Amino acid sequence: MLKELLVVIKESSYISKSNISKKLNISEELIEEGFEQLIRMGYIKEDVRGIKCDVGCSSCPYSKSCDKMPIKTIMITEKGERLLAK
Amino acid sequence: MNTIALVGNPNSGKTTLFNALTGSNQHVGNWPGVTVEKKEGKFKFNGNTYNVVDLPGTYSLGAFSEDEMVARDFILKGNPDVVINVVDATNIERNLYLTSQLLEMGVKVIVVLNMIDEAEAKNIQFGIKTLSKKLGVPVVTTAASKRKGIKELIEEIVRVIDGEMDLKPSISYGDKIDREIKTIKKLLSGKTLEYPPRWIAIKLIEGDQYVHDLVSENKALSSDSEFGDVLSAVKENIEDNELEIVNRRYEFVNDVTRVSVVRPEEAVKTVTDKVDKILIHKYFGLPIFILIMFVLFQLTFAVGEDLLGGLMAAAVDAVGHAIEVFLVNINSPAWIIAFVSEGIIGGIGAIIEFIPLIVVLYMLIGILEDSGYMARAAYIMDNIMRKLGLHGKTFISMIVGFGCNVPGVMATRTLESKKDRMIAILINPFMSCGAKLLIYLVFIAAFFPNGGGLILFLIYFIGILVALLVGKIFSRTLFKGETTDFIMELPPYRKPVLRNVLRNMWDNVSGFLKRAGTVIFAVVTVLWIMAVLPAGVEPYGAESILGRIGLFIAPIFKPAGFGTWQAAVGLFSGIAAKEAVVTTLGMVYAGVGEGTELISAIQGAFTPLTSVSFMVMTLLYTPCVATIATIKKETNSVKWAIFAMVYTFAIGWTMAVLVFQTGRLLGFS
Repeated sequence: MLKELLVVIKESSYISKSNISKKLNISEELIEEGFEQLIRMGYIKEDVRGIKCDVGCSSCPYSKSCDKMPIKTIMITEKGERLLAK
Repeated sequence: MNTIALVGNPNSGKTTLFNALTGSNQHVGNWPGVTVEKKEGKFKFNGNTYNVVDLPGTYSLGAFSEDEMVARDFILKGNPDVVINVVDATNIERNLYLTSQLLEMGVKVIVVLNMIDEAEAKNIQFGIKTLSKKLGVPVVTTAASKRKGIKELIEEIVRVIDGEMDLKPSISYGDKIDREIKTIKKLLSGKTLEYPPRWIAIKLIEGDQYVHDLVSENKALSSDSEFGDVLSAVKENIEDNELEIVNRRYEFVNDVTRVSVVRPEEAVKTVTDKVDKILIHKYFGLPIFILIMFVLFQLTFAVGEDLLGGLMAAAVDAVGHAIEVFLVNINSPAWIIAFVSEGIIGGIGAIIEFIPLIVVLYMLIGILEDSGYMARAAYIMDNIMRKLGLHGKTFISMIVGFGCNVPGVMATRTLESKKDRMIAILINPFMSCGAKLLIYLVFIAAFFPNGGGLILFLIYFIGILVALLVGKIFSRTLFKGETTDFIMELPPYRKPVLRNVLRNMWDNVSGFLKRAGTVIFAVVTVLWIMAVLPAGVEPYGAESILGRIGLFIAPIFKPAGFGTWQAAVGLFSGIAAKEAVVTTLGMVYAGVGEGTELISAIQGAFTPLTSVSFMVMTLLYTPCVATIATIKKETNSVKWAIFAMVYTFAIGWTMAVLVFQTGRLLGFS
């Protein structure tokens, strides 16, 4: 399942977990878990919060709105690419 | 006394079940050697006392954290008579991964489908008998928070403890790995080990570092050459083996749930797929995005200005007048009255008046974000960015830059390659931040009161366009190289939650107010002193320090149509903070007229055409010091920070001149 999931991620232009669920005939909840497992195992990387404000945030008036990233992105790591090449 | 271990994912209701089983008969301590809390309790049934140990919540039983180590060590070495695996019934698929690892351990397990009431409310149906048969262990349903199913669970516990359970492995990892497990298990038999041989064999093949270390420290094993050969062979394929084992666990979970769990199809996901066919369509996606942004700015003005705008302006005037009267009544010195009424109220008041517009704009942006549309917008732009040779993530940093360029520049950290990052950093200042918004609002109020939405839309659009064009030029000239690939996740659409929308708005508005009270206040104070000194000159006049600076810079802006010293000092102070453009204009034009002084003064000093060229200049020219400092920090180079200051000024000036001269040629004034 994990390799199939990785292949689908590689071939997709965007990630919709409901679409992947239909494509692989696996429940969306398990697809969600699969994503997390691929992250844990280092095959993909996820950017949820891109900004890591490490400079004087306490004095920055925009600190509250700063670490919000409305968009999640996924990258296939070198380990992931190696697996796909096999 | 029999011991029962409770194990489960965090938030599976494990502690609620522990409380339901043991009541107040419990105590809390620490696991030896670690800082993990140990909770133990007791309950009685049919005259027997049972000891219950609540293990830390974990998602798996690897060796990644102290929690996982404590849980797996107790299950394997603490000799519990039965392990209760608490599973969140609403999220069974994800919880069963832990179950699959428990089944590998060869211990007696009872699966408790907790929160069954919540699952039923969500219309999730279970075939309990099938589930139990597929897992090979008893399954009990509970709603621990309502104490439902607790008696049945206790009865099952007693039955399992007293009875026999078939503990044969229920998961196959494929012929090759199954064979390896058998071989290693055989070699381990007869050796003194802390853990069951089969479990050690699985962990060795899976590459569990803790178990590998344990084995290498075992003298009997390290002197066994046959075992050493097998282990070396296993080590060569650890990456593949780990994936295969984890994969097989998921396939097991999928096989189990496919036949035992039925979820209702969520309408929202079906709708999402249908809506996305239009909203991210290859050809329609971009025009729809442009249209949505256009409507957003129109609405901002319709609600923020037409409905609420006058109220705030009247409030600022009234408060300003009251403070002035109060200061006169208490016989304050003339300079204090002048500083407060012309510096503070004239300057900061000028930006406070536009709060309703900012509130409405950020609420509308919050609605777009919370509904899931923003991710679609980024996806549409990603396709365009890629065609221009830019990295799609650049647009994410650009979206952040719409709020403030400082976090916008920082958001480029997600870009892997230096090339992509440098381009994203250098074009971020073209994104119109919240502070620049004020400048446009003042000029729109002065010259385009009926076309505010359109002007604002065009300004933002020009900002994006210039950023993309400059980015393309940079990628062809200054920064060449490969871009890294990524995929964007498009979450399902959802109804925006009012609380989220309000919080998003407040985060931005409070930041705006905080700046008005700190940075802008400081800038206003310095500028006011510069505007009234040296002593004896006419305050806010061309002879003041501020006026002289303005007169010195002003000729540069003649070709752009706004060569007055006031406009020049406005732009100059805008480098400290963009809001300062408005506060400076508010101050240097204070005393020009009554009521909405700034607007009428601007109407006298600018024309519709020069107001447009001035807005274009402020949109594109040198970013504020905070942004420059961030660029310096993020690029780790003074050279690039200076480059960013100079090249943005050049582009801003060129565009402003272009707008003014073209407009004049076309007969606009």
